[in-house]
Amino acid sequence: MSGDGTQDRLSAQGLRLAYDDRVVVDGLTVTIPDGSFTVIVGPNACGKSTLLRALARTLTPRAGAVLLDGRPILDLASKDVARRLALLPQSPLAPASITVEDLVSRGRFPYQRLLRQWSADDARAVAAAMAATGVADLARRPVDELSGGQRQRVWLAMSLAQETPLLLLDEPTTFLDIAHQHEVLDLCAELHEAGRTLVAVLHDLNQASRYATHLIAMKDGRVVAQGAPAEVVTAERIRDVFGLACRVLPDPETGTPMVVPARRGAHTRASSDLPVPPSPVASP
Amino acid sequence: MSRAPAAVPTVATLPAPAASPDRWRALTGHPLRGRAVVGVAVLVVALLVGAVLSLTAGRLGVPIGDLPSALAGTGSRAQTTVLTALRLPRLGVAVAAGAALGAAGAVFQSVTRNPLGSPDVIGLGAGAAAGAAAAALVWPGVVPVAVGALIGSVLATVAVVAGAGGGATAPLRMVVVGIGVAAMALAFVQYALSRARLADAQQVDAWLHGGLDGRRVADVTLVAVALVVLLPLALALSPRLQLLEMGDDAATGLGVRPGRTRAAAVVVGVLLTTAAVTASGPITFVALAAPQIARRLLRSTGPGMAAAALTGATLLVLADVVAQNLPLPVRLPVGIVTAALGGVYLAALLVREWRKGTV
Ligand SMILES: Nc1ncnc2c1ncn2[C@@H]1O[C@H](COP(=O)(O)OP(=O)(O)O)[C@@H](O)[C@H]1O
Ligand SMILES: [Mg+2]
Repeated sequence: MSGDGTQDRLSAQGLRLAYDDRVVVDGLTVTIPDGSFTVIVGPNACGKSTLLRALARTLTPRAGAVLLDGRPILDLASKDVARRLALLPQSPLAPASITVEDLVSRGRFPYQRLLRQWSADDARAVAAAMAATGVADLARRPVDELSGGQRQRVWLAMSLAQETPLLLLDEPTTFLDIAHQHEVLDLCAELHEAGRTLVAVLHDLNQASRYATHLIAMKDGRVVAQGAPAEVVTAERIRDVFGLACRVLPDPETGTPMVVPARRGAHTRASSDLPVPPSPVASP
Repeated sequence: MSRAPAAVPTVATLPAPAASPDRWRALTGHPLRGRAVVGVAVLVVALLVGAVLSLTAGRLGVPIGDLPSALAGTGSRAQTTVLTALRLPRLGVAVAAGAALGAAGAVFQSVTRNPLGSPDVIGLGAGAAAGAAAAALVWPGVVPVAVGALIGSVLATVAVVAGAGGGATAPLRMVVVGIGVAAMALAFVQYALSRARLADAQQVDAWLHGGLDGRRVADVTLVAVALVVLLPLALALSPRLQLLEMGDDAATGLGVRPGRTRAAAVVVGVLLTTAAVTASGPITFVALAAPQIARRLLRSTGPGMAAAALTGATLLVLADVVAQNLPLPVRLPVGIVTAALGGVYLAALLVREWRKGTV
């Protein structure tokens, strides 16, 4: 690498991100540690997907820049970026009646050239990606006919076929039952152990604490805390970020932080937000 | 940058040259499938049958036994004249314009992510017709008719993209706005016809109905040259368009630039449409149906430019043969036959899309 050898591969500086006139993120600076399994958490609509899209250059910042290997990501050739960084968006569209194998093969686009559209290397990468995600048996099946969990693994396989050292996943576990959620997360953990840097948006704080090596908590388009899950996930911070009263206990299985929401009466914020029914005494 | 992606294939790591199906895939990116081979064979045979019928059928047709010698130029003078002056230019325009319309339909349906988003539905054909009518009737002699058609289809495209607000980012709005643009363009055509001299109006009127009568070699050359230049461009854009069908984020993640790709595709599609319309008149249905028929016949996913072009050529040639040989007192222009087919097809499509909730 040119310049500072200790610099992390992916970072963002002074990002302002907006849709039309609505600024969602302003002045955000963040670094994705190399080799980490970074998980982004935060309430709905706080800008997690927006940040992820900017990191994957699918959203152009109004100000600031995303740096990949020390260079502004938008200065790099798009296919070149796609060989280093893959994005699994929140809701990609599967073309009608496409088969699993064909969809996974699309992950090889960054390696294709005009006169060499497919190589033995592409075939190997697609087979490996399908094997890793356990969808090899479904190769000839149309994606439309699969269950939600299977479909999510197929999309993951497409991103894996890209063979990038960096992998960005937006809510890869949404719409899956708890067993499939853990299956996908275990797969992510394996990929991480095999040397990839992962960034994922997750909703479940306990899962985030369990799998993340680096946790980023966001609120209203800002990063409010980041670091090891044990440092980031505290009762006070959960109340501040999510407005939820809770206790944080060690997860009996892993020892990582586990969020246990307080009983109904103890939800100070939630109860004060509820409309108070008219008291029977006040009515005539 | 010293950090290379995980596995860059080198000559040493590549295996020995593979069997022919893999060689096909290496070149096209798609595996060679029996179903697709059969589909292409069906289309080629249908096109050849249509072509032979188009040269041999009818009162002036060259009998099939005489066809080889007439084509070689060694037949009777009458037969050679019929072929070179009438039948071959007609067939040439039908093949080339049909192919151009099929490819243009595939391009636009892919960009709008909607089977209704074809150039004849979203007003490009009508825009080209209005431009041609303006050039021929309203301001005759200012620009050639072909240039008028190009201006008309470009204006219609600009209107559709601007009217949909951000254009291709709102595919469905583009279709709806396009239908409005088509209606306005056709109103303008009526206006131009109403104030033209009768003789001029009749000539333009015939062209407007998509007749292939009186086509000359120059007409064939125009579409053929456009096709030779534009079809490879459409083919080169095809993998990117295919990825855009998964959404802009997914496509960008794979290294596609959505804005650029769509802009290039719209330019190629507009030029293909204009060339076809200039040569054959605003023929409907071919651009709308050819890509869908090709998809079903070949069971392919993705825009499939080459298959759509082949299907378009086959459709237009067959439709023209039908139009020429219907037992009616007057001969119908092929555009009326395709319009009738297209009406039925469009209604069926609308019902289906309505049920799916995409309209
Ligand atoms: N394509 C879009 N156009 C306009 N506004 C958007 C778009 N995507 C997201 N937003 C808005 O930006 C804010 C942040 O959204 P998002 O980043 O998706 O939140 P999260 O992923 O944290 O739930 C939300 O208020 C959302 O309404
Ligand atoms: Mg989101």
